[in-house]
Amino acid sequence: MREITLSKAVNEAIAEEMRRDETVFLLGEDVAEAGTPFKVLSGLVEEFGTERIIDTPISEPGFTGIAVGAALTGSRPIVDLMFGDFLFLIMDQLCNQAAKAYYMSGGKLNVPMVLRTNLGATRRSAAQHSQSLHALVAHIPGLKVALPSSAYEAKGLMKTAIRDNNPVVIFEDKLMYQDKAPVPEEEYLIPFGVANVKREGKDITLIGTSSMVQVAEAAAEALAKEGIEAEVIDPRTIVPLDEETLLKSVKKTSRAIVIDEGHQSYGVTGEIASRLNEKAFYHLDAPVVRMGAMDVPVPFSPALEDLTVPTVDAVTAMARRLVAGEMIHAA
Amino acid sequence: MPHDVIMPALGMAQDSGLIVSWLKSPGDAVKAGDALMEVETDKATMEVEAQADGFLTRVTAAAGDTIPVGNVVAVIAETAEAADEDPPAPVAESKAPAEAESEPAPAELPDGKSVIMPALGMAQDTGLLVSWAKAPGDQVAADDVLFEVETDKSTMEVPAGHDGYVAALLAEAGDTVPVGESVAIISADKPADPQRRSAGPSAKPTAAPSDPAAKTEEAIATKATAPARPSPTKAAAVEGVILASPKTRRLALEEGLDLARLAEAGHPQPFHVRDLETLRTMPARGTGSAAPVEAAPARHLSARVSSDGLAGFLAWARAETQGSVDQSTLLAGFARASLRSLDGNPDPVIEVETLHGSTRFPEAAEDDATNGKPDLILRDLRASPLNGLRMGAEAAPVLTLVQEDETLTLTLECGAGQLDARAAISLVSGFAGRLEDPLRHLL
Repeated sequence: MREITLSKAVNEAIAEEMRRDETVFLLGEDVAEAGTPFKVLSGLVEEFGTERIIDTPISEPGFTGIAVGAALTGSRPIVDLMFGDFLFLIMDQLCNQAAKAYYMSGGKLNVPMVLRTNLGATRRSAAQHSQSLHALVAHIPGLKVALPSSAYEAKGLMKTAIRDNNPVVIFEDKLMYQDKAPVPEEEYLIPFGVANVKREGKDITLIGTSSMVQVAEAAAEALAKEGIEAEVIDPRTIVPLDEETLLKSVKKTSRAIVIDEGHQSYGVTGEIASRLNEKAFYHLDAPVVRMGAMDVPVPFSPALEDLTVPTVDAVTAMARRLVAGEMIHAA
Repeated sequence: MPHDVIMPALGMAQDSGLIVSWLKSPGDAVKAGDALMEVETDKATMEVEAQADGFLTRVTAAAGDTIPVGNVVAVIAETAEAADEDPPAPVAESKAPAEAESEPAPAELPDGKSVIMPALGMAQDTGLLVSWAKAPGDQVAADDVLFEVETDKSTMEVPAGHDGYVAALLAEAGDTVPVGESVAIISADKPADPQRRSAGPSAKPTAAPSDPAAKTEEAIATKATAPARPSPTKAAAVEGVILASPKTRRLALEEGLDLARLAEAGHPQPFHVRDLETLRTMPARGTGSAAPVEAAPARHLSARVSSDGLAGFLAWARAETQGSVDQSTLLAGFARASLRSLDGNPDPVIEVETLHGSTRFPEAAEDDATNGKPDLILRDLRASPLNGLRMGAEAAPVLTLVQEDETLTLTLECGAGQLDARAAISLVSGFAGRLEDPLRHLL
């Protein structure tokens, strides 16, 4: 199977859906000629023109509001939010308007909008362009949240998102745009709420999101050399969350680490760990451990920045301790 | 039944509202849902709807008045004439009919304007009247503090709201009064006979101590629930806390194993599933132990069979082989066959102990005799004078064979965690059957 970059996969997904459905259009800053700072959208304006690939002024609340209105009136807009950090600017449009219109209209109004943005640190972008804020929107009922972990997921989840009749926020990891993965030529969609068991194992479950799936897989590889069989699961969407697959795995392995690049406190790791504790408690032989980003603004210093996110070594070491039955945070 | 029209709380932190205009006039017929008046708050101007059908009567506030939230501004009565006929404060009476019936009929309430329990919080249904600042008959100005109210959040002073005289106080300090209920009447003229009474039973949802009926009910409720509550200290049989994973605790419970024994043995905590293996093989607690801990019960089963079968078989075997038969090998074979048939273990290890020493079967198992424990210890004591015994569970299930005259007695002792009841019974039965008729089992 051919291998393409995550960037190319997103581009293909949007182009295919825009060809299929003329109500789909895209708007955002530097999306047309510039093709975004990450060059994800290069070539789209040439095919679809400036009527459907719209460069907007620098006003995130403005263009997100336009998209919500367009979605309410029959279009299927894709909002390009250059950095996930800019989510703070559009909280009202996204969380108060887009997320609630369906509910507050008694099901009479839909907001079939996709907000594509990014997450991920270690790109030396400093504290205001390096945050992973997916937990923020996952907290709001009415928003679906997808976290592709490779080019394959990026394409399949984007196509599903564009066809969804409700607002979906997709976070791409900005460090993975050039990562290649096998992606079929033929069309495919990845349903929401279906986790992917990337590797089977019996000793411990490593649940990773977005780029942390790679970290989990590398840790599993290292653990295998020591005779520890780790199961690696990528939930792919955190809203909806495929609880069933996660619980089934944890009931089998009795141990789990949840790895996510958002800040650890009040985050995705805490939510998933808590569900496992509640629903698989009597099957656990060790505490479910969260591994998120440090609770600090992301440092600009490369040496410091690299310390803030979960690493393969840290995950491997923690898994080893759990399997050995070491006491974790207990007195 | 007359229905009060009160100044509603339209904003989140609103304590009064300005009546911009009345949309109905006194005496007008109104239907529930009709707009009665327009009210302006800090944020917006809104219409206030009638909550009941009837006639608008006793309008006490005019356009331009600012009225505290919760205060009555009008009454929707059943007839247009009700305004003139009804006593000034019919609300308090109509809401407390029980009081009217059970107590001596109170004197007619004096004329005047009602002061009601205000809504001071966002989700407040009642207010505790802490104290009165005025006594019946006192002269008051609208801004004078009339009483103090305690809510969930704070204690606040409530002004009289009207100039005049305190004609009646309808609640006592300590009463909990529903929001909207009248607590005082302010009359324009000095009252001849100012009144003081307590709030009716309906105004005391939490049963004031003076209410004997409610007290009895409460006592009954307490009596009914008290014995049902288990003593929380009863479960703690072992001192200290045992650290164990939830899965370990669940499996221990299912198998009837006691984690306290591992703790007593000094096994390092926290306990995990793998530690149960150690616990399963621990010898049963001695019966003399004074500790009140519930130990895993030991199993003790015995069977008697005639020794004829075995003796006959041995004689036949000796003749066939023209020499001695290794009885330990033979017995180990019986034991292995019995074990195999019950748990499917294809290669059980048997340790045969005699008065002279012990041997492991199969012989290959001899090599790792030091690391592993056997699946079964077979103690052949036929040559001893013992004719019965009770030793308690050991590291592995023990099957003891003793002989008295022509009878072989077979005794199995093991921990409950080593063999479940069904397996223990099948093992003894199977082995006894093989002793009784060795040939049949060989065939």
